Amino acid sequence: MKSHEAAEAAGSGIRWLAVGMSMLGLALMLLLHWEVFFWVNTESTMGVVQRIFYIHVPAAWVGVYLAFGIVALCSAVYLWLGDERVDMAAVAAAEGGMVFTTIVLLTGPLWGKIAWGTYWAWDPRLTSTLLLWFIYLGYFIVRSSTENPERGRRFAAVVGIVGALDLPLIHLSVTWFRSLHPQPVVLKPERPTLDPDMLMTLMTGLLAFTVLFLGLIAFRYGLERSRWNLELRTRRAGSA
Amino acid sequence: MKLYLAQLWAVAWKDLMIEFRSRERVGAMAGFTVLVGVLFNYAIDPTLVRPEDIASGLIWLTIVFAGTLGLGRTFELEAQDGAFQGVLMTPAPRDALFLGKVLSNYVILLVVVFIVLGVFGLFFSLDWGSSPGTLVGVLALGALGFVAVGTLFSAVSSGTAMGVALLPILLFPLLVPVVIYGTSATGRLLADRPLAEVDGQLRILGAFALVALAVGAGLFRYVVEE
Repeated sequence: MKSHEAAEAAGSGIRWLAVGMSMLGLALMLLLHWEVFFWVNTESTMGVVQRIFYIHVPAAWVGVYLAFGIVALCSAVYLWLGDERVDMAAVAAAEGGMVFTTIVLLTGPLWGKIAWGTYWAWDPRLTSTLLLWFIYLGYFIVRSSTENPERGRRFAAVVGIVGALDLPLIHLSVTWFRSLHPQPVVLKPERPTLDPDMLMTLMTGLLAFTVLFLGLIAFRYGLERSRWNLELRTRRAGSA
Repeated sequence: MKLYLAQLWAVAWKDLMIEFRSRERVGAMAGFTVLVGVLFNYAIDPTLVRPEDIASGLIWLTIVFAGTLGLGRTFELEAQDGAFQGVLMTPAPRDALFLGKVLSNYVILLVVVFIVLGVFGLFFSLDWGSSPGTLVGVLALGALGFVAVGTLFSAVSSGTAMGVALLPILLFPLLVPVVIYGTSATGRLLADRPLAEVDGQLRILGAFALVALAVGAGLFRYVVEE
């Protein structure tokens, strides 16, 4: 029964961590929005629409790099050690990652409509993010469509690992394909070098999104742990 | 090593023999290819677009779609009566099973590649350029990477309730590099550009195939493990 109590204690620790991180993340998010809407200067060439940058870039950092990095790493470790807790961390990160890549895919075209004159311009970064979104989708479908949950976890880990290995090559190839075509003048995705206030706002954004994401995955991880414990207890009660 | 190759070959030979006798997958893929060629003919207005300008894209998409159709059935037959359990019980290592499956799928897909070339050449009277050997090389290298990824994910999709319907969702995002570099190289060869222009694409297709084979061989045991 000792390990049982330790698991309970760990569970409540994670809950506190999740609540603390999420609260801090939300507070930083309020600060970020204050900075974005009232504090930072309007960019001279693109105008007001450039402010979406402070949401878009942090969401991309979290959804593409941080979340998918955790998914890939945890997938590999899960296949190696077979520890369910690592898989719980992977699925928590994947869910967060899918939310944040969705934010990237919504804010990117909104900005593009004003700055480029079109919602979708096959920008390599945006295209890679869309493909990553589908890799996340496949990750969740294989998990949920197997009869044996353990098998679904293994399948998902395989999707995560192959996706992580292929993603750099996908990005390379879509960038290469773009560079074959002449770059239309309106579609220049270049951004100006940032002035200190803008850099400050961007840094607030990166911090806010990272902290909120970690809070959310701590919540999801705690939920997976509770589900796992509940299942164990039900099984024990059934066998007793 | 000799034993390993023998085990690999045994799996491939068994699958090829089944395919040779039933002609189930090649038949379906060949029929698909011819009919897609007919549909493309009516989907493309020749007064607006010259078929040879978009031939490389059509060839690659037909190979990918027909290939997905056939690859999806890699493990279907053995799913019946627990036949695959029997295959797994043999002392052959899992990576040999995987590479054997890849080999048999590859032979089948190469047959389809030639059918695609024949059908498109006939229907759209395409000129294969001055180096048809390199053209076949590009298609064969791209097809190898495609088959390696496809065989792994065919094992995944067969293990799910969604089955073959899941395969394109898992496979197509990962195949973007193959399609991009494959169509680019094919297009240049069809347009009779110098061979040096497709050198880079060939290298990347080759690297993709090698990595896909290695990763698939390494991960296959986690997919088929009970």
